[in-house]
Amino acid sequence: MSADLAATAPAEMAHDHAHDHAHDHAHDHDHDHDHGHADHGHHAVVENNFMGQPNIKLAMWAFLGSECMFFGSLIGTYFFYHGKALVEPMPDKVFSIGITSISTFLLLMSSLTMALGVDSMKQKKRDMARNYLFLTALLGAAFVGFQVYEFSHFVHLGLKLSTSLFGSTFYVMTGFHGGHVTVGVIWLTILAVLIDKGKLNPVKLPINVEVAGLYWHFVDIVWIVIFTFVYLLEFIQ
Amino acid sequence: MSAAHDSHAEHSGQPHSHKAAYIRLGILLTVVTAVELALPFLKTYPQIWDAGQPMWMPLLVALSVFKFGAVVGEFMHLRGDRGIYKFLFLSPLAIAATIFLLLSTLAMRLFLPFGEGLAVTAKDVQAGYVKATKSSGAEPPLADEKFNAAFADAKSKQFVDGKAVFVRVCKVCHGDMGEGKPALGLNLTDDCYKYGGTFKDLYTSVADGRAGNKMPSQGSTLKSEEIRQVVYYVRSLKGTNVAGEPCVGDKVAD
Repeated sequence: MSADLAATAPAEMAHDHAHDHAHDHAHDHDHDHDHGHADHGHHAVVENNFMGQPNIKLAMWAFLGSECMFFGSLIGTYFFYHGKALVEPMPDKVFSIGITSISTFLLLMSSLTMALGVDSMKQKKRDMARNYLFLTALLGAAFVGFQVYEFSHFVHLGLKLSTSLFGSTFYVMTGFHGGHVTVGVIWLTILAVLIDKGKLNPVKLPINVEVAGLYWHFVDIVWIVIFTFVYLLEFIQ
Repeated sequence: MSAAHDSHAEHSGQPHSHKAAYIRLGILLTVVTAVELALPFLKTYPQIWDAGQPMWMPLLVALSVFKFGAVVGEFMHLRGDRGIYKFLFLSPLAIAATIFLLLSTLAMRLFLPFGEGLAVTAKDVQAGYVKATKSSGAEPPLADEKFNAAFADAKSKQFVDGKAVFVRVCKVCHGDMGEGKPALGLNLTDDCYKYGGTFKDLYTSVADGRAGNKMPSQGSTLKSEEIRQVVYYVRSLKGTNVAGEPCVGDKVAD
């Protein structure tokens, strides 16, 4: 409680200071609007930095920047060793474009529902946002399901993590991506349940949904790269 | 869809919804993905698909870059958002892309075909190795690191090692210089290869032998490492044209 109040003062000042700028961020205004009818009784605000940007969004973009390098090196390593595996099965023997394209489509559509969820939240349509978040999590879970099927199918064909350079680099790369999707599914589900139960502070809600959305879209763009460079190029060479 | 637009909408109360624009973009992304998927299937239509044309891969890359940009710019709202977010995301992305390009180029440089005009690819080596292990069944799979080191080092070391194997095993029938011996071994120094001139062909000849002549299977007496070495060496003899046995089989260009 007192910590919240303490946090309010500098944020309020920063807010006033930033107000001169035409491009002052939207969330300060959300704060103004919701402050009056926040039924929780405490003075929660979206904590901004001295330039008026919400810390949590800044942190997420910085995190996603580091994730770019993380996945960049994993995909780069896959390509460095591409075609250097000694033992069967080779990529063109195990990849199934049909199944992978279905899961790719599901993940792409989940990005759309996520964007619609963030949009609904900004318009304060909380129930609609909750539904979109559930739908996004469901599509993400379906994607993970397809990946589990794909992995077990590959293992059945004799490709394991330790089989060859292809197995090692492929499973590490796609496995980390699948792990990210799983984290995203859990995150979105928790968020949707909390929205449903009304446990989240309405002031912080839009930014929380927006930040979860940023993470989710990032997971989607990583898959865009993997699908094109790893799966499709295998068939186009 | 820009930030200026956004903040105006927010100033006037309820923010403007992007729902229609998002759905349009979703449909566009689906169409682009469908086009990407159609490209590999075009392979079955040679009149449309020309594998020799290098345009397909850049096209695929361009389409995925478009999708990437659309999701980041519109769904993640980076296009109209503040500069600090763009900096935080795009600068590591540029570094990641550089690492990616460097690794891919480095891979091509390191694993170039080795030997003068010797068109051996890693795929040939794999195929030859797999066939050899399947036929002999005794040799455990070679560790990848060992293979890569050997592959990169092939130019210098393996030709020497290969010659040692050749002197020990092959020269009895193929002659001191690889010129061949009547009714025993073919001439290995001309441009002709009776069973083909790829790494895979030569590997198979050594590992499995060739039915209908005196070439025996060495798959059980030589280690796969030794077979590879001697194949490198034998392939390097091509074009030395030592006088001996006549040309048998098809001429190989490189």
